[in-house]
Amino acid sequence: MTRKSLPRHATVASIAIVAVGIALSGCGASGSSSTNANGVTNLKMIMEPGPEADSMSKLVDAFNSGQGAKDKIHVEIDQLSRTDTFAKEAALMSTQSSDYDIYRTTSYLVAQHAPYLEPLTLNGDNYFKAPVESLQVDGKQYGIPLDPSVHLLYYRTDLIDQMLKDAPTYEKISQDVLGKKLEPKSPDQWTWDDYIASAAYFTKKYNPNSPTPYGTQLQAKNLLYNAMVWDDVLWGLGGNWLNSAGQPDLTSTAAQNAVNVYRTVYTKGLTAADSDQAEFPETEAALGSGNAAFAVQWNAGYAQLNDASKSPKTAGKIGIAPVPGGKTHVHALSLGVNKYGKHTSQAQEFIKYLDDPATMGSYVGDGGIASMPKALSTKTDPNTAALNKALSGGSFSEPALPKAFDVYTALANDLSAAWVGQGDVSSALAKANADVAKLAGK
Amino acid sequence: MSYPPVTLKRRKPNVWWRSVVIGLIALVINLPLVNALITSLKTDAAIGLSPFSFDGGLTLEHFTAILGGSGYNFLGFLANSAQISLGSVALIMVIAVPASYAIVRLGFGGSWLLQIITSLRLVPAMFFAIPFFLIFSSLGAYDTIVGLVLANAFINLPLALLIICGTLRELPVEIEEASTIDGAGPFRSLFSIVLPLLAPGLVAVGILVFVFSWSDYLFAVILSASNAVPVTVGAAFFVTSAGIAWGNLAAVTVVSVIIPLSFAFFAQRYLVRGLSAGAIK
Amino acid sequence: MTAPSSLTTRPTIEGRKGSRRRRPANRGPARWILSAPLLVFLALFVAFPIVYGVQSALTSKTLLDPTPTWVGLGNFGAVLTDAGFWHSALFTLLYTVVVTGFELAFGFGLALLFDKDFPGKKFLLSAVILPIMIAPALMGIMFRLLLNSNIGLLPGFLHSIGVDVPLLGAGTVVPMLMGLDVLQWTPFTFLLFHAALQSVPGELHEAAQLDRANYPRFVVSILIPLMVPTIFIAGFLRAIDAFRTFDTINVLTSGGPGDNTTTLSIYIYKILSAGNFGTASAAALIVALIMLPLVPVVVRRITRGAV
Repeated sequence: MTRKSLPRHATVASIAIVAVGIALSGCGASGSSSTNANGVTNLKMIMEPGPEADSMSKLVDAFNSGQGAKDKIHVEIDQLSRTDTFAKEAALMSTQSSDYDIYRTTSYLVAQHAPYLEPLTLNGDNYFKAPVESLQVDGKQYGIPLDPSVHLLYYRTDLIDQMLKDAPTYEKISQDVLGKKLEPKSPDQWTWDDYIASAAYFTKKYNPNSPTPYGTQLQAKNLLYNAMVWDDVLWGLGGNWLNSAGQPDLTSTAAQNAVNVYRTVYTKGLTAADSDQAEFPETEAALGSGNAAFAVQWNAGYAQLNDASKSPKTAGKIGIAPVPGGKTHVHALSLGVNKYGKHTSQAQEFIKYLDDPATMGSYVGDGGIASMPKALSTKTDPNTAALNKALSGGSFSEPALPKAFDVYTALANDLSAAWVGQGDVSSALAKANADVAKLAGK
Repeated sequence: MSYPPVTLKRRKPNVWWRSVVIGLIALVINLPLVNALITSLKTDAAIGLSPFSFDGGLTLEHFTAILGGSGYNFLGFLANSAQISLGSVALIMVIAVPASYAIVRLGFGGSWLLQIITSLRLVPAMFFAIPFFLIFSSLGAYDTIVGLVLANAFINLPLALLIICGTLRELPVEIEEASTIDGAGPFRSLFSIVLPLLAPGLVAVGILVFVFSWSDYLFAVILSASNAVPVTVGAAFFVTSAGIAWGNLAAVTVVSVIIPLSFAFFAQRYLVRGLSAGAIK
Repeated sequence: MTAPSSLTTRPTIEGRKGSRRRRPANRGPARWILSAPLLVFLALFVAFPIVYGVQSALTSKTLLDPTPTWVGLGNFGAVLTDAGFWHSALFTLLYTVVVTGFELAFGFGLALLFDKDFPGKKFLLSAVILPIMIAPALMGIMFRLLLNSNIGLLPGFLHSIGVDVPLLGAGTVVPMLMGLDVLQWTPFTFLLFHAALQSVPGELHEAAQLDRANYPRFVVSILIPLMVPTIFIAGFLRAIDAFRTFDTINVLTSGGPGDNTTTLSIYIYKILSAGNFGTASAAALIVALIMLPLVPVVVRRITRGAV
């Protein structure tokens, strides 16, 4: 029996690895204390990574060196992962944590977050109506409206110009696909039928001369944000979650038609087959690669598509139109004050600093978007102009149900199979209707 | 008491087909990583145009971006991951080695103790996320390396105990009995006789625990905020509201694989030998 | 996340280990002292989460209504009567059985390929186990890039050779996800089998070498029976992890279309994201209970010796 011990170089290797680990620890992120050094209050707030956090960082720096220095308040941003920020906030809130003074909230979550937030007093007149109202619960304001999100139709101007000159082909294809003859129209006049016919015109399967393999890109993944996009179709066709009596209304003809718009686009192959798993980034890829001629997309998608270093094929050729049917979902990203935080009055002070057109103007200057007409007017690019127009009219925010978040999740869950041709439409809508009925209460 | 693995010295003329076949399999298995490597070297424009576009040639911009250019401290994230993983390995060794000896050789807890611990692995991790968050908040271990070490030790403990118990059971009991007759107590048998024999198995456990701690995402998301952020969570900073920064994410993936890979490459032999409890004949 | 094992018990021809089946000596305080670190750890970091989780499973705690009220087994009832739960349980079970089966078969086949000397063996061994090193969360996002029909390498390559299969299309997404799991975790089962094969006595191989025509018979009648314990352990470890699959599928499909690819972990995650803590805890416990019967079988094997 001989003993098997580790040969020497293994030992050396292990030691080396440990040494590397220890050496690396030297460059670990240094901690910051949230204690009050020389009377300065450290406020911690949560945001998710992206342009809004980049812009907010600049704003926070300005605050810290200006008014904050005077008032002895120092604000810090913790960026959490975009997908899991809200799951984590749920954990923090449920344990009544005081780790953070300022929470990230949104129009679709504010009703759920309200029990953990302090009411705010804002100058409501500074804001667009839809975002500010979407952050109210029982008449109280729990979040300050920051970056608004709406949907717009982005299209390739060069391709659409071509289509407008090609009426004969367009008529033939629309007859094939929709069973009715349609004239090619400019995207700002589209109904959902025009959207489908134009998507067919730009699909190689129906038009061998099409410059793109597919006409459009649906965002049909089972994801609550995609339910918000589909809501545009529902509202645009005259439907709604609830009818005027407050009863769930998803078995309506409008809802049937709205599901069928998606279903037609997917099953007829007017969008890539993998759009059943598509969301924002996949839609950017479809447009940017030149494989789709137009798509309904979040307003945040414009910058990348119009940037020659990221999307050489589309930069300078992106036209913007309102969503067909003229209705777009709107929500606002927001910040709220943690009721269980240790520094609520200082946090309120920081919110006051944000509640100011001049502050928001510089926020917009650094790449953020504001829910204030005055602050937005400092930017004149076409995307901001389109956003401005959508916010001034034509946008809607869904009923501020306490469980709005769950309703979106349920809609995506119940309808995403029907969107892509699986199962039948009426039973999917019946299920969605039952879920809305269940979730519409407290 | 063990032979080196048997190798056949007789070269066959057709050995090359094996290398080719396995090479192809390795390529298919690693397609996501190969794709990540290619993507990490392309410009944003080329990534967005098509998989075969190399517009703007090859670039290192994504690597410079993640190593300081993006405003995120990726070296710090890597260091955190390294500390968390090494810490978990160390803690698991301290807990699992003596306990395995007590379970296997001294009959501690019959089989129920091991069964209970193994059962922990069946519970979806989310179940533990909030209570862990609560414990760590109250202990002041939230967003610290120590907290994540504890969490990862918790995740990997069932696996480590199973492997170490399994390996230990394979060791012939006679040597220990002989040393007991010589008057050695259980502690001395463990440290001077069993431990050296267990070494290859422990190295294998160490590698696996290291790799799985390095890969953890869920607990890291819940339990870290700014100071103890590991690479897996840091990578999520490139998924933004303005799109996914594919090039940067691909670069993060490539960089994050280098450390566990080199770890495994150097210790490969012990990984295989340690997992093969039959190093003893 | 997964786990391997040196649980690859050393195969012997008789398959029994007489010398190791002694009754362990009971040595008083040493048992407690040696187990102390484990017991302390369990007491501090396991007991509380379990108690907390079980407690919250028995209350109706949600984000909207944070005061916990006792509901007994109400949450369990709510989960068990939800058609969505059963749908995802069935999908998860099917997924687990399929991927575990394929991973065992492919891992074993690959280990047989490695069971000889060939040029570049050391390098190729590292290459083959590389996927184990990639965090599943990152893997999911890299799959998303690889499979995207506009910018992904795989659809691009297939398109260039004239094959247009929608890899993530509504009709193909389920087998595709299973294929990705097999791609990701076959290296793991391979590693266990490779390690186990190292300990097959050399003379057996020598005998097999002499008669190459009979290699398949050698594999079936000698090697596989020797590998039974390893197959068992590898299967167990893969099955319990496949059953809790989350990261990769969540990133790729969020469980859709509809709930066609909703695994139990995704089902729980969605409940948790909506702030329904009680229901989520109950669902997690149910998932654990489904898999529980597997545990004693495997653990007894390890603590008492080969079956």
